[in-house]
This record gives sequence, structure tokens and C-alpha cells, in this order.
Amino acid sequence: MLGFILRRLLIIIPMALLVVSVTWVLIRMAPGSFYSEERTLPPAVEANIRAKYGLDKPFYEQYFMMLGNIVRGDFGDSLRYQEQSVNEIIIRHLPYSATIGALAYLFALIIGLAAGIIAALRQNSAFDYGSMAAAMLGLSVPNFVLGPILVIVFSLWLFWLPPARWGGISNLILPVITLAAIYTAYIARLTRAGMLEVMRSDYIRTARAKGLDEKTVLFKHGLRGGIVPVVSFTGPALASLLAGTVVVEKVFAIPGLGNIFIQSVLNRDEPLTLGIVAFLSILIMVANLLVDVSYGILDPRIRYE
Amino acid sequence: MKFGKDNRYRLLVGLYVFVVILAGCGERSSEEFYGKTSPPSDNVMRYVSGSEPESLDPAIPTGQPEARLLMAIHDGLVEYHPKTMKPIPAIAESWEISPDVSEYIFYLRKNAVFSNGDPIKAQDFVYSFQRALDPDFLAKNAYLAYYIKYAEAYNSKLAFVKRPDGTFLLKRELEGSGAAPEVSTELFGPETEFGKSLTGPERLTVPVDEKNRAELFEKNEKLKAMAADAEFVPVAASDLGLEAIDDYTLRIKLRQSAPFFIDLLSHQFFKVVHRGAIEKHGKQWVRPENIVTSGAFRVKEHHPYDRIVLEKDPLYWDAESVRLDGIEFYPLEEATTMMNLYKAGSLYAVYNAVPPAAWIDTLREYEHEYMDHPAVTLQYYTFNVTRAPMDNEKVRKAFALAVDREALAKFRKTSKPTIDFTPIGIFPEYEEIRDRIYARELAKQGRTLEQWKAKMFDPEAARDLLAEAGFPVSRSGDAWVCPDFPIAEVEVLYNTSESNKAIAEFLQAQWRQNLGITVPLKNMEWKTFLNVRKELDYRGLGRAGWVGDYMDPFTFLKLFYTKENDSSTGWYDPKYDRLVNEANRELDPVKRFELLAEAEFFVMDQQPVIPFMTDSTNWMKKPFVKGMYPNPQTLHPWKFVYIEQDQEKWDRFAEKIMTNRDESVLSHVERLMSTQVARDAIRAQRASTDQSRPKQ
Repeated sequence: MLGFILRRLLIIIPMALLVVSVTWVLIRMAPGSFYSEERTLPPAVEANIRAKYGLDKPFYEQYFMMLGNIVRGDFGDSLRYQEQSVNEIIIRHLPYSATIGALAYLFALIIGLAAGIIAALRQNSAFDYGSMAAAMLGLSVPNFVLGPILVIVFSLWLFWLPPARWGGISNLILPVITLAAIYTAYIARLTRAGMLEVMRSDYIRTARAKGLDEKTVLFKHGLRGGIVPVVSFTGPALASLLAGTVVVEKVFAIPGLGNIFIQSVLNRDEPLTLGIVAFLSILIMVANLLVDVSYGILDPRIRYE
Repeated sequence: MKFGKDNRYRLLVGLYVFVVILAGCGERSSEEFYGKTSPPSDNVMRYVSGSEPESLDPAIPTGQPEARLLMAIHDGLVEYHPKTMKPIPAIAESWEISPDVSEYIFYLRKNAVFSNGDPIKAQDFVYSFQRALDPDFLAKNAYLAYYIKYAEAYNSKLAFVKRPDGTFLLKRELEGSGAAPEVSTELFGPETEFGKSLTGPERLTVPVDEKNRAELFEKNEKLKAMAADAEFVPVAASDLGLEAIDDYTLRIKLRQSAPFFIDLLSHQFFKVVHRGAIEKHGKQWVRPENIVTSGAFRVKEHHPYDRIVLEKDPLYWDAESVRLDGIEFYPLEEATTMMNLYKAGSLYAVYNAVPPAAWIDTLREYEHEYMDHPAVTLQYYTFNVTRAPMDNEKVRKAFALAVDREALAKFRKTSKPTIDFTPIGIFPEYEEIRDRIYARELAKQGRTLEQWKAKMFDPEAARDLLAEAGFPVSRSGDAWVCPDFPIAEVEVLYNTSESNKAIAEFLQAQWRQNLGITVPLKNMEWKTFLNVRKELDYRGLGRAGWVGDYMDPFTFLKLFYTKENDSSTGWYDPKYDRLVNEANRELDPVKRFELLAEAEFFVMDQQPVIPFMTDSTNWMKKPFVKGMYPNPQTLHPWKFVYIEQDQEKWDRFAEKIMTNRDESVLSHVERLMSTQVARDAIRAQRASTDQSRPKQ
């Protein structure tokens, strides 16, 4: 087990460097650069800029310089926001994304599980049909559609909630719901299916036959078996929630990492783009590793070689 | 199924109630104002700043949204008039301009201080300009200051050529007189040693870098011979045409006559910065804990990508007249997000061109809020005149004539059609003169102004021209065809955006319909597009737009000026340069405009570009925000802006907002201008006594 974790951790480093290298090549392949402007820069000014950022050196030299910096964990300063370092920007904006992501994760778990369990227990009831229809809708409506719809209804018609920006709790409601919708729906459906299967199984009948009250049957025996598929879904979901808030951040103008990432690409802010790519790729790989490890803990049949 | 009748009934009732509530709320939008409209009780303006500002250092950012933020915290020699955008006194109480418009003397007010209490002196301006022009500072806006003597040479790392006898090689020795716009060699302002050194004829400059210099010499044998055994002295900051005559008198000497230079000085690039803060903190000086500002507002908080909070600076020299207690700028990217926030009442104004095209018909109905005044912009397409078939003037003219501009403007909703390169409705005096000059020039060719104006749309003439160029257009069934046209050599290049695509498709349809030519469309991401267009790596046509930097026609006409011009067409003609030089040497504004109009006619008659339209400012503000005007650049000097609690006094009918008189703002502007008016009066008096003095 320990060996497995170590091996995986060792793989993460070259993988992250590979991701960064590919990103770097893609950035360099695109014509134009961060100093492309509508107004022609005087050739001397352009030459000064190129010299300052080492753009006049051969490509391989620039590549190894970039790689060397990244290995040392120094992503340098942003090109656009000259007085800020990439590390500082990442640290400053991660909490916004993490807050939204974590809240959405909690929301999805609580609502999804509750809805799934109730739907399973009251199979074929109006609640069952209603919640599963809503879940279907949640699965099929992309968040860039859902977000604006919520804004129109709750911000522009009812004037209840702010339509965008960071701020108080009221600013969090719409983005969290938008982000959580698809996960909530998925968890609800998984929970319902899992619970339905478990509640029909022999050991539940046994538990009931032993005379246990319904609460114990449901929460002690039923739930444990019923949410296994949910657990295997929520692991990767956490990683994608942390890294995948880009659209929601854009729609609601939240100053999170996803938003910064998109802007850095549009601004051709190379160090910032590379820094965020490296950071997110490591984050996702670590999250995946944690999920793989947790499988082993949950299910003793899985062995790591 | 357990879905009983009762449940179904309840669900339907619930749905019905929900819909009724929504419909009721929807009605709100048909009220007098758009969305929530209530003035804030804290007297703080809330506005958008576009993308996260590149920097709070006035010498760095180039964007318009940043300009609006920076003008709140930094002050300069002059300030924009809130309506006309013409310069009015700021830190400079008044100024004088030499008769040949190549030397400016500024008299600074003595009570101007930085936000830390340090006085603002002439030396601070000298430092600020030198710093911004430093070649290692890499300011993208540096070109704005190139009119200052030796500014371009200093910023481009050039060197003077010093002969063994200690004299410098002069520009005119190499190029002969007349090539460069010569300016007066007499000092206009107070005499000083340094001042005298500034008035000498312009020295020749060559690259400091040896490799580049060798390349230049390779091309120019005469220069090489003249510079033999000379010493190369790099142009230094102290060589610039800037002088603090005393603590409160500043001299700026230009390399050429530039009547528009004073208009340029309101730009953020020329704002004053605090030397101590910069030297102490380096690049970090712009952080809220370090920054020292000079404007009406100072930085309280800066949360990148979220908000920038400004508060009124009580030390500001004009603080008494500043009416807002603070401003919050929100860095937002998405136009719809901005409009949503505006409707929800958390923003009190959006900047120009924010409302999306699909919303405009609805927004226009809010006549108290929607701003439709012309902006100092031009939308046009460039031709790559270096490649066939667009190297043929007739082909270019045919393409220009075959576009129904009226229809395009109607389709765009926020534009006015045009065929000229200076936007319409922005420079009324110039437009009047231009008509006269165009008529004169056209008469020489046996044409009339009416014929010229028909260029708005004339498909018949377009087809004739194409035929003359060797590509006859014939009728085939219902449509026109032009089988000989080398369609593989032509495409329309534009940068990716919905509105650019819509325009490109519209034009494509026009050329297909009227010329029988279907030009393929090609889009590219912005920075890539800029590169390709600039390098003339495109075939046929490229999309272009230009926003004026200052309020003078030359801000547009300079696009064709000099061989390395920014027109992205490959077009250049020395005759154009001669006309422009002559114009800018002219003191009389009427004669100057005549010459500029002649230059504009000269270039437009060769059609290296197709101008289509001038955009309108297209923005909204809440009626309780006053002193904020739809001026041509949508730049708002914030010290004139205020929030009106009394609903009776709110701004009504945006259309009249520019002509309505807001006494409180006007008296403020007049008070500021009085010092300059007095200065002009003294000069006029002096001039008249000079004239009346009998000649001896």
C-alpha cells in the first residue's frame, strides 16, 4: 500500500511537467503574444521587451529556463500584473473557488442523498417522480444555461438575490446551486438506485425479521450498502468541483482561480497560465490518488500491486 | 400510480401561483426606469472597470476601462472637460503656447499635493515623464509622448552622433531641410541655459545597439561616411524636452508643431506620480498599502478581480468641489453580467458598448438612461494593398461602393454610416471645412461633392469599376456573377466575436449580391489576428476599428502617417506626410483643418480602407447619477460626478443631457477655467500693445 502511494506520488511530478510542457508548446505555437497591441510598438521597444523576458533566446533555452523555474516551485511574476507573483495570485484566488466548490459539494451530498433516499423509500410516489424528473433535468441542463435562468428569475424578476459578484452569503446561493445541480442530480439518482437494490436484498429482510425498528434497518444496514456507488462517484466529483468551477465563475463574476485561468490565457500571460496549469494538474492527480486509496479502505477486495 | 387527483390539482395550483408571481414581477421592467432605481445612501458611486486593471500605475495600462479608473486617483497638468473632452486646468493652473506650437509653458498651482501631503512640483512632472519614457520601463503608451523633443529617440534606445570636433550631426545635414518638420529655434518661455540647449535644430540619432547601427549604415552609405570616427552618445532622460524652470513652472519643448499636444495631456500616461513611493517600493508601489496618488480619490482597498474601493482624498487641491464620498470599481468581463448588475441596481452605470445588440431595442425605450451619442470611433475594413487583386485601386473602390452602409447601420442599431476616415458628429468644425475642401479637390477631377457622397452605396458604379479592372460582372439569371475574379486570393479576416461575425456576414452578402463575389470569411483570436494583420499576412480584407486617443482629427489621420504607419494596409505616400506636416505646423486652426482635409481626401481617394460607420457610445446610467456625460470617449472626470437624492432633479431624457445646463457642474468647470481665461486675456492684451506700438 505504502509502496503504491509512493510510486503514484513519484509519477505525479513527471506527469505535471509533461502537462506544463504541452501547455507551453501550445502557448508558443499560437501567433501573437502578450505584448501584441493594435498600435505597433516601436521596434526598439519591442526588442527591449523581448530581451527582458528572454524571448530573444533560442527556444530550447527558454524551455529549460521555464522548466527549471517550475521545478524550483517558482513560477515567476505575472506578465500582465507585473507587481504580483504567480504564486501569490494562485494563493489569493484559490479560496474563492474552494469555497464555491466545497459548498456545492456539501449541497450536492446533502440534497442528493436525502432526495435519493426518500425517493427510494417512497418508490412511485409523487415525490419519487418529481425528484427524479428534476434530477433528469439537472443532469441535462448545462450550468451555463441554468446559471443565467436562475439569475433572471431570482435577481432580475424577484430582486431577491444579487445576480453576480463576490460578497455575502446571498451572493453564494445562486452560484452554489448552479454548480451543484448536476452533482446533486447524479447523487440523487445513484442513491435511489442503490437504496432500491439494497432494500430488496436478503439481509434487510433478515434485519426486519429480527424485529429491528425501521430507522435502524434504514440507517444502519440499508444506507451503508446503498451509498457505495455514491462514494465512488463523489471522489472524482470533488476533484472536478475544485478545478471545474470555470463556467460558474465566469457567469457569476467570481474572482476564483477558474476565472483567472481563462483571463491569463486570453492575456497570453504565460507564467500565470503555466502556474495555474501545474497547480491544477497536481491537485487533480492528488485527488485521484486519494480516491484510489480510499477504494482499498472501503473494499478489501481491491489490492494494489 | 399513486399520483392522485388531489396531488395533481395541488401541483397545478402551485404552478399557476408561481407563474402569476413571475409575471407580476416581470411587469416591473415596463416602468419608467430600468430595473431597481434607488440612489445609495452612502454617496458612493458604483461602476465597472472592465477587465481587472493591468496596473494602477498610470504609465502602464493601455485600456479605456483602466483609463476611467486611473483618472480618479491620478491627476495631471490638465483634465478633461466633462462634456467636450477639451483640456481644462488641473494641476496646471494655466499655460502658454509658443506661436509655432512647439513649446508649452505650464504654470502649476501651489496648493496641489500628493495623497501623503507632499507638494506636487514641476520636477515631479519631469520625473514622471522621464520615467514613463525610460526604454527599460517598457510603456506601451510611450508613443503618445513622442512629440516631446527626443522622446522617441530616448524611448527607442538611440544615440546622438558626436563628431570629433564636439558638434553633433544634425538631422537636416543628412536629409536636407524640408524633410523633417522644422520648428522655431527661438525660446518662447523664460530664458534658461537648459532651455536654450533645447531649441537647437534636431540632432540625428542612430541605434545604440551596434548590430542595428551597422545594419542602418549598410543601407545608408552617406550616413556611414558622415558618422565615420564619430562618437555615439546615447540619448539620456536629461536630453528630453522637459524642464522645471522653477518649482511651479514647467516647460515642454516638442520636436514638431503639435496643436493637439495639449489635448493629449489629459491622458493617463501624463499623470504625475510620486518619486519617493516608486523608488522605495519599486514595482510594488501600486499596492494599496504603498501607493501614493494625486487625484481626487485615493485607494482604500484593492481586491483583484473583485473590487477596487476608492475614497475621497481630503488633501486634494480641489477637494471642496468633489461631491462623491467614494467610488467602487468592479472588474467584470461579461457584458451580460454587467447589465444584470445594472438592472439589479448594484451598478449605477456601465461603460460604452456594453449593452449587447439583442438588448438594444428594449433598452432604447428607457429614454432617461440609454445613451446613444456618437463615440470617437470608426469601424472599417483594411485592404492589403500589397497583394493582387487589392493592389488595384479600382477593385478596392468597387468593394467600397458595393456596401449598403445605411442598411448596415440599421442592422447594427448603434451606428451611423460613413465613408470618411474621421468619424462623423465628433469634430463638427472639421467636418464643415472638410466638405469645402473635398468640393475643391473634386472639382479638380471634374467631380462634385454629391458624387463623392454617393459612395455610401452605388452598386452600379461598383460593377463598372470591376469591369474596368478586368473583372467584368455579368447577369446570370437573378444574380450577378464575376467569373474572372481571383476569389482564391481574397478573404475577410476578422477577430473572433459575435458582432464582428455578424458584420462580416452582412458584408459578404452585400458583395455576393452586388458584385457576384463570395468572399470567404476567416476568424482568428484577437492577439493572433493583430499579428497577422499588422504583418500583412492576410489576403484581401481585414476588419479594423479605431478609437481616438484625443479630440482632434489627427488621432485618426495619423494612421496613414509615415512609412511605418499603423494602417495595416501597406499603403504609404510621401505626399500624405507632406500635407500632414504642413497642417501640424499651422497655427490657424481653420487653415490646419483645411490641410488635414486635403490629406484625408488624398488618402480616401485611393481607398486603402473601407470606412463603414461610427459607433454610438451605447451605454446606460441611472438617472440619479449626475455630472456624468455621454461624451465621445465616455471618459468621466469623476470629480464632477455626483449622486442626486432628490428625484425631482434626476437626469431625464438622455438625448438632451449634453445640452442641458447643470449649473453646479458648469460653475465648477468655469471656476477651474478662470485661471486660464485670465492668462489668455493677459496674452491678448500684451499682443495688442505689441502691435499698436509704433514700428521703429
